[in-house]
Order: sequence, then C-alpha cells, then structure tokens
Amino acid sequence: MTENMSKKSRRNLDDAANTALLIAAFIGVWQIIFMLGIWPKISLPSPAMVAETFVKILWNGSLPESIGVTLIRLFGAFAISLTLGTLIGFTMVKFKGFGKTLNSFSAGLLSFPSIAWVPFSILLIGFNELGIMFVVIMSSIFSIMISTYSSIRNIPPIYLDAAKNMGAKGISLFRHVTIPAATPSLIIGLRQAWSFAWHAIIGAEILMSIVGLGHILSVGREFLDMSQVIASMITIFAIGLLVDRLLLHKMEDKIRRKWGLDNHR
Amino acid sequence: MTKLQAKNIVKHFDHNGNSIVALDGINLSVEEGDFVCIVGPSGCGKSTFLNIVAGLETPDSGEILLNGKPISTPGPDRTMVFQEGALFPWLKVIDNVEFGLKMAGIPQDERREISERYLDMMQLTKFADSYTYQLSTGMKQRVAIARALAMDPEILLMDEPFAALDSQTRDLLLVELQLIWERTKKTIIFVTHNISESVILGNKVEIFKNRPSKIKKEIIIDYRRPRLAEDENLQKYYHQILDELKSEVIAQTKDEIQ
Repeated sequence: MTENMSKKSRRNLDDAANTALLIAAFIGVWQIIFMLGIWPKISLPSPAMVAETFVKILWNGSLPESIGVTLIRLFGAFAISLTLGTLIGFTMVKFKGFGKTLNSFSAGLLSFPSIAWVPFSILLIGFNELGIMFVVIMSSIFSIMISTYSSIRNIPPIYLDAAKNMGAKGISLFRHVTIPAATPSLIIGLRQAWSFAWHAIIGAEILMSIVGLGHILSVGREFLDMSQVIASMITIFAIGLLVDRLLLHKMEDKIRRKWGLDNHR
Repeated sequence: MTKLQAKNIVKHFDHNGNSIVALDGINLSVEEGDFVCIVGPSGCGKSTFLNIVAGLETPDSGEILLNGKPISTPGPDRTMVFQEGALFPWLKVIDNVEFGLKMAGIPQDERREISERYLDMMQLTKFADSYTYQLSTGMKQRVAIARALAMDPEILLMDEPFAALDSQTRDLLLVELQLIWERTKKTIIFVTHNISESVILGNKVEIFKNRPSKIKKEIIIDYRRPRLAEDENLQKYYHQILDELKSEVIAQTKDEIQ
C-alpha cells in the first residue's frame, strides 16, 4: 500500500515536472520568435509584456470580475442544460420510438456550431444574460441528451436481468441499478457537454456581452491590445483545463478505479 | 411435495425472419429438495428454459407452477446464479450480497446479519469490503452464490455458473455446492453442458434433445455425497449420459453445416 502511494506521488511529481517543462519550452519559443522581430510589438508582445498586462487586469479587478460573471452564467446555464437534458434523455429511453427519432435529430445538432445560435438568440431573446445562457444551453443540451440515452441503452442486459431476478423493479431498479450502471459512460458525456458549453459561452460573450471573459478578449482586440487578448486567452485555457482536470477527470478517475476499469496492463 | 412444475413449455425464436422452435413442449417436475441438472448440447435451449423458469423470458405457451401457483414475472423466490459477470461492479462484495434483501425492504441490521452469514458460508468474510474487480472468477461466483442464497429462495437456479472457471476451482466449488445443498436443503436446478458436472451434482439429470428441444431422458443418480470428480463409480452414469448426448451433438453439427 505504502509502496503504491509513493509510486503514485512520484508519478504526480513526474507529471508536474513534465508540465513545467512544456510551459517553459512554450515561453522560450515565444520569446525567441518575439526577439526575431518578425511582427511588430503591437501584434506580438513578449511573454513579459503579457505577464505585466495580466497583473494589471488582475489588480484593477477587471479580470476577476470577468471570470466571476462568466462562471456564474456558465454554471447557471449548464445546470439547466444538465437537468433538462437528463430528463429528456430518460424520456427517450422510456419511449423507444421517440428516443430513436430524437437521437438522430440530436446527433445532427451536436455538430452544429455554437456560434451559429447567436443571431437566433439575439432576435428571439435579446442582447442580455438570458440570451447568452440560451446559446450555452443549446450548445450542450444535445450532448447530454444523447449521452444519457446511449449510456442507459448500453447497460449490459445481464445487470438488469440479475436485478429483476432479485426483485428490483420500477423506481428502485432505476435508482439502484440503471443509474449506477450507466455512470461511467454518463461522466464521459458530461465532460463532452462541459467542453461544448465552455466553447459556447466564450463565443457568445465575444458577440453579445458587455462583461465576461469573452468580452475582455474582444475589448483587447478593439483597443489593439494584444497583451490583453493573450492574457484573456491564457485565462480561458487555464480555467477550462482546471475544471476538466480537477473536477470532471477526477470524478471519472474515481469511478473507473472503483469499477476496476483501469487495470489494463 | 412438488416444488416446481413446467407444463408443456413452448418457445419460438425469430431467426432471419424464420420462426425456429427452441423449446418444443418441456414437461418437468421438481420435488422439494431436489438437485436437478439439465444437460444438453450448447444452443439446445436449456438456458432459455431456465430463463423462463426465472420469469426473465415468457413462453409462447405452457406454464410454470411454483408450489402449485402459476408464475410469469421474475421474483426473488427463484434466484439465479448467472454464468458470469452478473455482480454489480459499483457495489462492494457485501453490498452485492445484500442487494436483493435491500430491494425486499429488509432493515439494514438484519441485512448485515444475513449477508455476513452467507459470506462466512462461502468463505468470503475477508473480502466483504472489496470491489468485484479485485476478485478472481472463482471468488466472483462464490459471491454470486452467496447473493442468491441470501434471498432464501424457494428454488435456486444456476445457469452454467462454473463454465468460466479453471478446473481446480471448479472441482472445489462442485464439492462446496453439494455441502451447501445438504446444509440448506434448497431445491436446485442447475444447467450445464458439462456431463461430469451434472453427474457429480444431480440427483436427477435431465438430458435435453437438440432443437426442437425436448427432454430426451431422465437419469436418476442415487449415490453417496459429497461426490468427487475423480470417483470411478460415477463413470457409468457419465457414459450413460454421453451415449444419449452423442447423437444429439452429431445431429446439431449436421444442422449447423447445412
């Protein structure tokens, strides 16, 4: 057990070292390109200049505020999308004909670009919070519907047979067998939906917001402030990575370990 | 007393638009405390028959009576031990054993007491808090047996539960199962394609004929227990069953080639 733990912490250390190395290499290449002077400073600032802007927008509060606004919108919209999408997914499982039709329909909408919802949303709902949330919901709900539907349909029938054989039916069959059996696959769907939602919120904010991460990104462009553009991009990248790694990937990992799905050699 | 009765069970399957007769009038009576083995070539419909008894499939005609009453849905009075992979990977071993009891609404304390008793019987106490992937195939099947017995069913159904085991583990479990049967006095129906298994386990061996399936012959094995795989005296039963089955396997092979 202790040997296992030390192995694990060593692996974590290796991962951290590799990440640091990658970041250092990236900044190094960037610095070299900057020094070659191919682009003027205004088009391509140095890493140090971006860092300076980063500290500036952090201190004057515009970055924290933007992050806050964006995340509140995102979590609100994602919660709605998750609730509705899951309920529709369950309905699709319950009514097979409906499910099949809606499944192929949703598959088409899955690849529909989230940005393309923006004009529709502005005209239908308006240039406001709800309009932005609508874009996020439409961009992620189909992924949740499809994943709920297919996760449940792909449960090995033997689990359901065994459960029925032991007297499980109705709600308790659903709660104690269907949901846990579908969970590993549901979480993969959740990760995918999250990334769609994240794409959508930034896009929508660039086009239809006066606050938020997408907004400071587009303000940077309007004021020809490339440092702010890059600083915002790095923030967007970091948040996306953190949520996926620290939240969703952790959840998936925990379940996979419990099920013994990671014991491939 | 007759525990379970199958009356003229008929079942068809669709195969590329053709209707195939899987079971062509199965009649079987199982007495209380019987250990009945059903043996037949693979694909002969013996598992289908067991699923019908379990209520997981419905027959096209005929009926199953349990204690004289017709049954049509699955129920915890007929628990099944499946071939493999039927344990729930999201539950610990002990929670797997308690699953049916929980579904029956039995309070937690009582569930724990029952599950611990059966884990002990199957020598699994040490593994109560393990997850199923941490167990060998043999141990998984022990858990599956403990899970089925914990429900205290009227009749225990076993669908080739030892087919995926290595031969040492299987021999061990064959002896254990006989001891459990003597201890719990359960009525058991055990489906297998393995003749030795049926000879070691069964008081009665029902030989299934190839499709359309019928019971070809019943062989009574009245021999002391626990019977061991290497017991020479069981050979004559083995050959008796083998002779009956040979022609069936040949018929089936011909069937498949055509």
